[in-house]
Amino acid sequence: MLLFENLKLAFGSIRANKMRSFLTMLGMIIGISSVIAIVSLGDTMRTLMANEYKNIGLGLSYMYFMTPDDVYTDSTTFTVDDAKNIKEAMGDSISYVGFQYSSRTDMKVGRKSKTLYVSGLAENPTAMQNLKIIEGRMLNDKDFQNKRNHVVLQKETAEEFFGDAKNAIGKNIKMKLGEDLEDLLVVGVYENTDSAFMKLMSGGSMETAYVPESIVVGDDSFNWSVYFVVADTTQMQQTQARVKAYTARMKNIPQDYIQMSSAAEEMKSVDSMLGAMSSVVGAIAAISLLVGGIGIMNIMLVSVTERTREIGIRKALGARTSDILTQFLIEAAMISAAGGAIGTFLGVSAVAIGGMAFGLDAVVKPEVILVAVAFSAMVGVGFGLYPARKAAKADPVIALRYE
Amino acid sequence: MKEIIKIEHLHKTYDTGAVQVHALKDVNVCIYEGEYVAIMGQSGSGKSTLMNILGCMDRQFDGVYELDGISIAKQKENQLSAIRNQKIGFVFQAFQLIPRTSAVKNVEIPMIYAGMKAEKRRKKAIALLEKVGLGKRVFHMPNELSGGQKQRVAIARALANDPTIILADEPTGNLDTKASYEIMEFFTNLNKEGATVVVVTHEEEIAAYTNRIIRFQDGQIISDTKVVK
Repeated sequence: MLLFENLKLAFGSIRANKMRSFLTMLGMIIGISSVIAIVSLGDTMRTLMANEYKNIGLGLSYMYFMTPDDVYTDSTTFTVDDAKNIKEAMGDSISYVGFQYSSRTDMKVGRKSKTLYVSGLAENPTAMQNLKIIEGRMLNDKDFQNKRNHVVLQKETAEEFFGDAKNAIGKNIKMKLGEDLEDLLVVGVYENTDSAFMKLMSGGSMETAYVPESIVVGDDSFNWSVYFVVADTTQMQQTQARVKAYTARMKNIPQDYIQMSSAAEEMKSVDSMLGAMSSVVGAIAAISLLVGGIGIMNIMLVSVTERTREIGIRKALGARTSDILTQFLIEAAMISAAGGAIGTFLGVSAVAIGGMAFGLDAVVKPEVILVAVAFSAMVGVGFGLYPARKAAKADPVIALRYE
Repeated sequence: MKEIIKIEHLHKTYDTGAVQVHALKDVNVCIYEGEYVAIMGQSGSGKSTLMNILGCMDRQFDGVYELDGISIAKQKENQLSAIRNQKIGFVFQAFQLIPRTSAVKNVEIPMIYAGMKAEKRRKKAIALLEKVGLGKRVFHMPNELSGGQKQRVAIARALANDPTIILADEPTGNLDTKASYEIMEFFTNLNKEGATVVVVTHEEEIAAYTNRIIRFQDGQIISDTKVVK
């Protein structure tokens, strides 16, 4: 019997029992939509992570000491001089060395006060924080070298204290740095270009002001770790090795005591963790697909039993075993394919809606859809085989007498 | 005259666990082209068993059964399906129409399995339904038709592939007197047009329409007579 005839027959049969067909498909729909939604969620997070790390700069690394006996002395910390030496020694291969000073503090103008973060930036500050300056200027190397009391405010901070960003330039503010309340001159205002997601992750509304690192990290301070940005990320390993070797020689400490990590490594580990997580959850969702398949098999068995007489009639009229087999297999495949299609639609919609709600660029990879629908069709045919064979083997004489 | 059905030394035994039932014992009969035959007997006489074998739906028998020269016992499953499709037109007591399917689609079914194209099928199905007087109910569902009308759809379906014989198993069993009369008139007319018709029945009035009555009892033919009208 022609494929087209079977398709029409299957479609008619599904339509005749709309509610039952829908309930049968439900398992497949839930399975597919959750697989697509969950795996896409994982993919989206991983892409976001990758992008964020790209924004931060994959060249970012940090270095700290770890002694085997956990005894730390002056020589197992970093000083401002150390940073300076490292920068000189590495030359162009390192674009920034600093201590990533960051602290919560209060800012005061007149009677108005506000709590915010203040971060320190060393020489070549844009290599560490490429701020989008909308008024005035960014901090420069001279600010750092001359330990100037200069500050770059976030747009929201400037607007809150001075009405708008332009007004803030040239004004004085007071900020508690360390023990003392310092007077700072506003030289620039920047706009926070973090994505909605990053803002979410960093807990939202705390604003950040930037000052030269030299006014917050004292010359006589001892720091646990030092940060540096590798200029050429393809040379990451080599540059890290050189920094390590130099530092060991400079501090007269064995290289083994020096630990290094980089944004690139972190990203890799976060990425693989997310990948593993979504694989696991995806697998669990796939199990529901299996359950959906069992549901299809169940209903097909019922359907075959109900239509025993019809099968008998068809065989009497000339249907071969293969005709009956094909008829019921196509019906099973159609139910599961329809379930797969609806599930795909729901899954993709959920991802799109979720993306819009959270301000994310939701990613649904076409491979995921393909695999999901193909899998559902296979499940349908696989689980429909047993009932279809049962139908095909019916004895027409007995089938015709079936009540 | 051409032999349409040739049966020689036909035996059929059912094994129902402890007991063996000899449904047919050494049956020999010939039916020729254009005959109008009634096969009569009480229940348990073997007539239904013979019907199933004649209809190529039961391959488990001993002996010879040739349909239009083809030895049925030697045929494979798929070949038998083709024979049922092409050579035999079934009419059942309980009509056996596919439910929730229109009359015309029911009539088309044998033609679908024969591989006929959709347009040709539709035309022929409508023509057949007109022939049985249902030209105005072509798209009706079985549950919208009376018993007699359903049986007429069944007859139209039986004629779909221009079969060699028409096999009717108690065709009037579920019909009232008037409808029974109509249906038997149809068979008579088909026979007058040259069709070979075999009707299985246990009612004398129905058998009286035919030209030849073969009576069964306990699995054997006890008489084979011409009908005197």
